[in-house]
Amino acid sequence: MGNRSSLLLREEEIAQIQEETGFTPNQIERLYSRFTSLDRGDCGTLSREDFLRIPELAINPLGDRIVHAFFEEGCSDRVNFLQFMQVLAHFRPIKKGRDNKLNSREQKLKFAFKMYDLDNDDKISKDELLAILHMMVGANISEEQLTSIAERTILEADQNGDQMISFEEFCNALERTDVEQKMSIRFLN
Amino acid sequence: MASQVYGSYIHNTTVHHGCQRHSRGANWYCNGRRNVTFLLFIMLLLLLLGHLGVCSGRPDALASSSSSTTLRTTSPPSGNQYYSDSNSRQFSWSVKGMDPTNEGDDRDVGGDSGVGDAYPSASSSSGRSPIPHDDSDGFEESSPRSSGPVFMPNTGDVQAAQADTEHNGNGDTKRYPVASVEFDRVKTPFIIGVWIFCASLAKIGFHMTPKLSRIFPESCLLIAVGVIIGVLLTQTGNMNVSPLTPDTFFLYMLPPIILDAGYFMPNRLFFDHLGTILLFAVIGTIFNTLTIGVSLWAVGQSGLFSCDTPLLEMFLFSALISAVDPVAVLAVFEEIHVNEILYIVVFGESLLNDAVTVVLYHMFEAYTEMGPTNILYTDLLAGFASFFVVALGGTIIGILWGFLTGLVTRYTHQVRVIEPIFIFVMAYLAYLNAEIFHMSGILAITFCGITMKNYVEANISHKSHTTVKYAMKMLSSSSETIIFMFLGVATINSRHDWNIWFVVLTIAFCSIYRTIGVILLTAIANRFRLHKLNKVEKFVMSYGGLRGAVAFALVLLIDKHHVKLQPMFVSTTIAVIYFTVFFQGITIKPLVKILNVKRAEKRKPTMNERIHERFMDHLMAGIEDILGRHGNYHVRDRFKRFDNKFIRPLLLRDHRGAEPKILETYSKLAMKDAMEYMRRNASTIGNISGTESMSAIFRNYTTGNINGNLSGTLNGSTSFSQLDSSTWNIDMQELEYNPSKKDLTDARIHHLLAEELCKPYRRHRRLSYSRHAVNDRDLSTQPVNYRMHMNIRRMVGERKHHHKRSKRLGKDGKQNHVSFPGITQNGSAKQFSHDYINEVLQESENDGDGTKSTSKEDWDSAITFTARTSPGGTPEASVLTQITSLPGSNPRKARLIKQYSKPTIDYDDAPTVAEVSLPWRRGVNGDETHTSGNNEATKKPSQEMDGSTGTNAAATESARVTTPTATETMLPWKRDDEGESTCPLKQSEFPAWCSNKEYLAYSSPSATFLGGIEQPKIASVIGLFRRESSGSVQDSRASSESSLHHTSGPESPPAPGAVLLIEEGGPEPLAGMLGIPRRPPVGRRGSMLELGSTTVNSIPEEEATTPLTSPQNSPLSSLSDQRWMALGKGSGSLSRLAGRLSALVSSSSSSSSSDDSSNEDDEETDEKCAINRTQN
Repeated sequence: MGNRSSLLLREEEIAQIQEETGFTPNQIERLYSRFTSLDRGDCGTLSREDFLRIPELAINPLGDRIVHAFFEEGCSDRVNFLQFMQVLAHFRPIKKGRDNKLNSREQKLKFAFKMYDLDNDDKISKDELLAILHMMVGANISEEQLTSIAERTILEADQNGDQMISFEEFCNALERTDVEQKMSIRFLN
Repeated sequence: MASQVYGSYIHNTTVHHGCQRHSRGANWYCNGRRNVTFLLFIMLLLLLLGHLGVCSGRPDALASSSSSTTLRTTSPPSGNQYYSDSNSRQFSWSVKGMDPTNEGDDRDVGGDSGVGDAYPSASSSSGRSPIPHDDSDGFEESSPRSSGPVFMPNTGDVQAAQADTEHNGNGDTKRYPVASVEFDRVKTPFIIGVWIFCASLAKIGFHMTPKLSRIFPESCLLIAVGVIIGVLLTQTGNMNVSPLTPDTFFLYMLPPIILDAGYFMPNRLFFDHLGTILLFAVIGTIFNTLTIGVSLWAVGQSGLFSCDTPLLEMFLFSALISAVDPVAVLAVFEEIHVNEILYIVVFGESLLNDAVTVVLYHMFEAYTEMGPTNILYTDLLAGFASFFVVALGGTIIGILWGFLTGLVTRYTHQVRVIEPIFIFVMAYLAYLNAEIFHMSGILAITFCGITMKNYVEANISHKSHTTVKYAMKMLSSSSETIIFMFLGVATINSRHDWNIWFVVLTIAFCSIYRTIGVILLTAIANRFRLHKLNKVEKFVMSYGGLRGAVAFALVLLIDKHHVKLQPMFVSTTIAVIYFTVFFQGITIKPLVKILNVKRAEKRKPTMNERIHERFMDHLMAGIEDILGRHGNYHVRDRFKRFDNKFIRPLLLRDHRGAEPKILETYSKLAMKDAMEYMRRNASTIGNISGTESMSAIFRNYTTGNINGNLSGTLNGSTSFSQLDSSTWNIDMQELEYNPSKKDLTDARIHHLLAEELCKPYRRHRRLSYSRHAVNDRDLSTQPVNYRMHMNIRRMVGERKHHHKRSKRLGKDGKQNHVSFPGITQNGSAKQFSHDYINEVLQESENDGDGTKSTSKEDWDSAITFTARTSPGGTPEASVLTQITSLPGSNPRKARLIKQYSKPTIDYDDAPTVAEVSLPWRRGVNGDETHTSGNNEATKKPSQEMDGSTGTNAAATESARVTTPTATETMLPWKRDDEGESTCPLKQSEFPAWCSNKEYLAYSSPSATFLGGIEQPKIASVIGLFRRESSGSVQDSRASSESSLHHTSGPESPPAPGAVLLIEEGGPEPLAGMLGIPRRPPVGRRGSMLELGSTTVNSIPEEEATTPLTSPQNSPLSSLSDQRWMALGKGSGSLSRLAGRLSALVSSSSSSSSSDDSSNEDDEETDEKCAINRTQN
């Protein structure tokens, strides 16, 4: 697989991806092999079904959202490798003294925020939060409890009183969280 | 307040005194000079301890050194010669019988440690002493009386001397002693107790001397105290007292500490860094052991130590000295608050390296015994393999016991009291179980704690949880205290073998290799870590490698016969411990500050953090899956799924979904919110009289009644006896000073509190005592009433935007008044309730002046909210806007406010009311009993009243538009159901319901409220809350909806409504109102105070008091009066109340204009109303 991937991936493509995402060529090739292994149709792009074919992801409560996050940029229903890498770039660990374009704290938070924000109005409404809670917490908890939890959460973060969580409020709410670490993955070289 | 009701005054003063005393006490202790005295006091106690130690030590020493018969010399403390003589013989006899055991004990002691120990020997002596006694009894009866005859004359001589009666009978018949001293029997536990006591006292002492505790870690101070005691003991002549034996340490002192550590281990953090931790714990420890051992041996070869240093013994020593000690690490790191990663790495290492230490130690011990020449490679391999057995075995045993504990606690809900014991005992069993198989007990109990925590906490009640938490902390901290203290004591003994070079080099090697090891291993670990350990963290890790009691206990375990250097090892170990604990322990704090190590912030996660972090976990797990990697997140995710699918359903009684943490956080925060809210609005709380809900319920029809009756009622001369027997008083009162809102809010707040906070307090007073069962209601935490909390929280949150809202309200007010637009809308309903509460808050501010002093007291018994903080600068805007929204109410603003303030004053005089007549209580105790009786009676009158009020209300209240929905919502039973904020609004909305024809179809509100037997759940307030809390979602939701409806409708005019009515009612009604209301307070007070005492009767009595105002003029009212009379006669306690009321009325001297509704003292107002009535 590695051979093929490196074959398919041209130097300038790698350079471009490296430029855009900050991954090292090694990581890019590695990820590309993963990409192609996910790509059952061999069409150079991934569909949602390709993602959801990963068994663990399929049972991940947020699996749909995670997959959805890959598709947000292009609005198409397929993801090419560059887009794939751009999304993954959010999860690169932050390294001091380097250019952290996509993986800055803010970008990481933005990514998470977007996953909540389904309607793209840059605000997390109660319903959006509730939807996430539903996925995570599951069915055993009553609707009412979930609602009150959501309300509580929004109220806690809400600073301007609009009953929504804006991105700034979201960042403030997670001010003390080690997002840099929590939303980073060690990509193998 | 010029005049308060006497009771409350007393209450007040006592509280005041209490406060003074308290503050004085605080001064006493805070005073620096006092600290000195306290320390002196402690020192005295320590001296005492020393002497006890002497007592305890001496017999031990004697017993172990000489023949067991010498024991008797100390045995009879009562000191009568004859007694002791005769006893001595008996003792010698009996002790001989006991000999084998004694020797066995002594031998054990010797084997355990060369230092000799108090505990085993003491226990052996205590085990001995009672037995000889028993034996002696038997001996006297059966054995030859050889001693008897000898002393018989003696007894004859002294017969007259009554002083000796105690011992007179010894020869013949034993006289029953009036008093006797028998110290021996309790000596061991007593001394243990004194040890603990003194150690704890010492601990208190440190914390009272801020200077000391700021500089030194507690462990240092405790060791110092231990040393002092040791010196004392040595001075007084027993050199060999060392209470810290390996057995006591490992079997009794260590487990609590480790259990505490494991149970409160931050699981997530621990497992996130498990790799690093294991690296340090296993590789690091081995590395240290080998390097230190080799280095010492190499130096020993050079002859510097001037003694033979065989390699294996050096390894043995280095094995025990290289292990970082969990106790010491905990003690120091808990004080320096480094960031959690650092903490978990160091602490985790200290916990997990136990397995390595144990294995290495036993391995080298065995090798030493075998002798270097006999060691085969298989032995080395066996040692290596045994590491896995020890470590994994211990872990598995611990995990199994942890699951077992979870399983057991699943079934404890019937016997809540024993929940904590399972946790402690089973964890301890896990420890011992592992020790049985020579596995790592520390690992076992650690993992037992880690495992059980997840499941046990979901099973046991909240109280048990608290109990466990505190007990665990208590046990661990006291055994930690004792360990350090004993460490100090053990320092002072004569067997030290100081080898300066050895000590110095050991310390040096320990530090050096620790540092090297950390640097090497972090280099390795960082390759795999997301969060790289930086230099500062490396430094703290190496500097935090403290050695402690584990090493000491291990070194004591070394068999002196095999290892000749053991004394030197002991001394060196002590030196190393002192060095690490004192030098490193003291300097690490400033160093951490200087190096600017990231500190840990101790706080509970917020809701957002909890949710979003969980969200991120899932996200990262998903990303890992996409990447095809099986990292931390993946593993955790997988485990969680497995856990949720299989383990939790099996172990948890109430498995509630995938994210218990979110729920947990939520309920915690909700609780916090409630408490916070309460704290900030202490005044509001203080005024809770406990009858609010009652009054709220009654208010509706009171107002209706008043409307109907006011015109006719006002002849004050209506016989009071009649009034007393009727149920009207409350209503009247409320009408007058319009307590409705405040009361209702209070009720709501109160219920909220009652759910979360109050209930336990209340329930504690139980008439029956049961040892085996705590009232289940006490223990079970009720699930949070989410809706309630949301309301409060929302309200609190909204207060920020107060301005906005109030403006809006101003606009909406009229609209609402007419058309109730907010009925269906959630948001508006919320806001209404908020506004309502806000108003109440303001009210509380207004009347705060009057209530400040008293607000507290009412609640003292139930909950003590000491601080009354003003709700924060809330302008009166909302109230005012609401007032203005009412037609023509402006001029009456002042009065309105006054009236607001009144209720509080009225409440002041009834401090005990809250205690006794709290609605839920009443509901629980008395509801059903008396309602059954009274239901019928109350129904009819109330219906009649309704009818009358309905007509009257229509007349008087032309301005008020009552839509059918509004009236519906006003219906009392509905209102009851909500139990929420909405009630007040409706009520003030007035006679709306009066005009409602539907109303007649229902049973009277009082009946419903009282929770008629037919449908207690819905009717009684209690049932209401219970139902909600029990989480039947649908019901509560429905009720909430209805509540929303309620709130939205009457919103704006709420409070003013009542007032308005009063004022518009015309002169007569007004007078009646003003006059009448005065009464009700009396009645109410009476009911609260006196009825409260007998909770069962409280409700009927209140009913009885309410009719005070019942008018004679109107035929309807008279009719009702008669009925009420009948009712009143029915309940015996009413007469009492009636008497009081009448007395009050008759005594009223001042005549005041009925219009004057200003806030005067209760008594005055009462009198006034009485007068008014009479005049009328």
